[in-house]
Amino acid sequence: MLGLIGRKLVYLVPVLLAVTALTFLIAGLLPGDLAIAMLGDQATPENVAALHKKLGLDLPLWQQYLHWLGGVLGGDLGTSHRTGETVLHAIAGRLPVSLELLVMAELGGIALGVPLAILCAVRPGSPFDRAVSGVAFASLSVPPFMLAILLIFVFALRLGVLPATAYVPFSQDALGNLRAMALPGATLALLEWPGVMRVLRSDMISTLQEDYIAMARAKGLTARRILLVHALKPSSLTLITVVGVNIGRLIGGAVITEAIFALPGMGRLLVEAIYLRDFVVLQGGVLFVAVGFVLINFVVDLLYAALDPRIRHGRA
Amino acid sequence: MTPLDRNGALRSIALAAILAASLALPASAQTRGGSATLGVEQDIAGFDPLTVGVYDTGQEATAVLIFETLTRLDDSGKPVPGLALSWEHSADFKTWTYKLRPGVTFQDGSPFNAQTIVSNTQRMLDPNNHCRCVFYISFIDHVEAADDLTVVFHLKYPQPNLPALQAPVTVTNVIHSPKAIEAMKEGYNRHPVGTGPFQIKSWQSGDRIVLERNPHYWDKARPYLDEITIRPLPDNTARFASVQSGETDIIWTDRAEDIVKARKIPSLIVHEYAGSGAQVYAFNTKVPPFDDVRVRQAVRMAVDLNAYSKAEFDGLWQPAKDPFGPGSFVQCKDAGALPYDPAKAKALLRDYGKPVAFKMEVTATPRGREVGQIFQEFWRDVGAEMTIDQIDQTALVTKAFRRDFQLTPWRIIDLADPDPQMYANFHTGSPVNLANYSNPEVDRLLDDARSSADQEKRVDDYCRIAKILNQEVPWFWTVDNHYFSIAKPQLKGIPKQFSDIIDLSGAWWDKK
Repeated sequence: MLGLIGRKLVYLVPVLLAVTALTFLIAGLLPGDLAIAMLGDQATPENVAALHKKLGLDLPLWQQYLHWLGGVLGGDLGTSHRTGETVLHAIAGRLPVSLELLVMAELGGIALGVPLAILCAVRPGSPFDRAVSGVAFASLSVPPFMLAILLIFVFALRLGVLPATAYVPFSQDALGNLRAMALPGATLALLEWPGVMRVLRSDMISTLQEDYIAMARAKGLTARRILLVHALKPSSLTLITVVGVNIGRLIGGAVITEAIFALPGMGRLLVEAIYLRDFVVLQGGVLFVAVGFVLINFVVDLLYAALDPRIRHGRA
Repeated sequence: MTPLDRNGALRSIALAAILAASLALPASAQTRGGSATLGVEQDIAGFDPLTVGVYDTGQEATAVLIFETLTRLDDSGKPVPGLALSWEHSADFKTWTYKLRPGVTFQDGSPFNAQTIVSNTQRMLDPNNHCRCVFYISFIDHVEAADDLTVVFHLKYPQPNLPALQAPVTVTNVIHSPKAIEAMKEGYNRHPVGTGPFQIKSWQSGDRIVLERNPHYWDKARPYLDEITIRPLPDNTARFASVQSGETDIIWTDRAEDIVKARKIPSLIVHEYAGSGAQVYAFNTKVPPFDDVRVRQAVRMAVDLNAYSKAEFDGLWQPAKDPFGPGSFVQCKDAGALPYDPAKAKALLRDYGKPVAFKMEVTATPRGREVGQIFQEFWRDVGAEMTIDQIDQTALVTKAFRRDFQLTPWRIIDLADPDPQMYANFHTGSPVNLANYSNPEVDRLLDDARSSADQEKRVDDYCRIAKILNQEVPWFWTVDNHYFSIAKPQLKGIPKQFSDIIDLSGAWWDKK
């Protein structure tokens, strides 16, 4: 088991190097730069050159990257040229918001997707199964910005039961925080549950055709016990992979959701950094997201091993 | 009488005047207490001129609470005392002397005096600081403190409207505490200290700035509110929903559809101000086809600005006849604006002889694309092919300064005097002269308007400039600058939205 963890950790290093180098490269290819964003309508070539020199942006890209990398290894993610805020401080303020949103989205998606998948798997092709599939496709097809505005319209404006843009930190007002996170969490959960439902449903259908299930039925176990104890665990392998991979997609959805619901999360920090060419912040943010993504999938691999003894003992 | 005595006497007269003024206020009108939340569009980067360079609407709406300026504008747009009580100028308008308000302290307890202004201005002008804010004060040669409460501005060229130009809370006008800047260095950007009625209580990056009453504010009657929260709400729809549902009390907006909707909702009120300046487009007059005046005229005359204003802005932003706008003191009887005349446009293009095809830059936003498509239709009707080039804001500015464009959007913002922008945009050789335009007569009129104190003569100069520009079309103007905010009607004491600044420094709740 420790060997497995060690091997995975070694893979992490080249992945992170590649991700940050690529971000630097892509960011460098964008037209316009921080100096122009900062100078606005005063971005005459002379002003831009002076500001480049001041900010160290006149160095070649690879030198800027190495300089940044050196800082990171020394524990210094740098300071935003635009705000004077350290990147670590900026991320520390934003990360909890995005994590909360992701957790709510995943929990919501699982809470909705898992029971529906089980109910559908019991009688595949039944009217209920087909209705749920239809709703799932509809839910998946609506883009998040549309869903967000629809939810605001219904719950914040028409019914007035939930706020649209009233974010407060959890530490300040726990109930207010949960209320404010309800609509953005629901927006992402509605994107998430169809995937959960579809994957678990099909795995479950094939599990239910296994001999040992027939055996369990023959023993006279209740349907409830068969479904939740004997069938669910072996059917969850693909689901766990999907949930891990989906975190990446959710980070993408979170960017839009955070902007609409005015949540001070990582997504908005990154978008602003891209928009204003604030590369130091962008690099720090991408590094964090990449580490997070890799770690989550690392945990998924470990869960796999825990769920399936064949993987744990290297006999897969 | 020694100078000190004289100052002392002046101080007590001034104090008496302030006291009288505050007593004269109807005591019962403004109720004290309560809090308000303002929704702005963009996240706030900070307030140090050296770091941020320029304030956007959100920064200005916050700055107007934390900071003060030498003057303020009354509702007619005239400068009235702010941190300065009175001012006078030399005959040539190149030397301005301000008498400052006594007894004012910064929120960090340090005193406000003439040396403060000198220190603020020199810091921005210092070439080693590379402040991009310099553009806005490049006309200042140096500032000196004649005595503790007298400050003298020495200008490079005449500026007859200096007090009005110093009123809005722009990045160069607000007065920071030199002590706080010295103490906090780079950290000052996020810990600003001014003399204003509110001070920062907390700042959550990307989420909100909470401001609380400054207990040591010099005007004991103000502020009326205890607390003001500024929230960046980047999504237009969600920002409008927030004021509808009561999560915010007032929001900044530039979306015509929301303004039209808000006017029909009794629980909301729309504040608006038609400012000076205009939304503008610059031709590159050095590259074909726009090096030919006939093509520029044709392109301008092919556009029906009334239809454009209706289609894109629900008619809220009115067609512009000149670059000065309804909020300016420059009102021209006849600016010689070219009419909408597709037949004439076709004839001009026929006369030009070659097929006209060109690219127009637009911002990579829904509005940018819409505007591009509307223009495309107009120009196709007269036989000119335009291709839309959608790029983001920073790239657009880069291309404009490199003169790497054929037709680009630009802006003339709401300022109390047309001189700074007109001179920069149209004088031969200016770095912001995007059209590469050069006309000796326009240069002469710009110089004349700059050095004259006679308001009527200046208006005449600018109107003659407008006439030439409308005929030669190096730029064209589409609609005026119109500024809006949507608020709860019970929130009172909000002055005109000059320079698009939402000013809640004197706001109060009508509890009736």
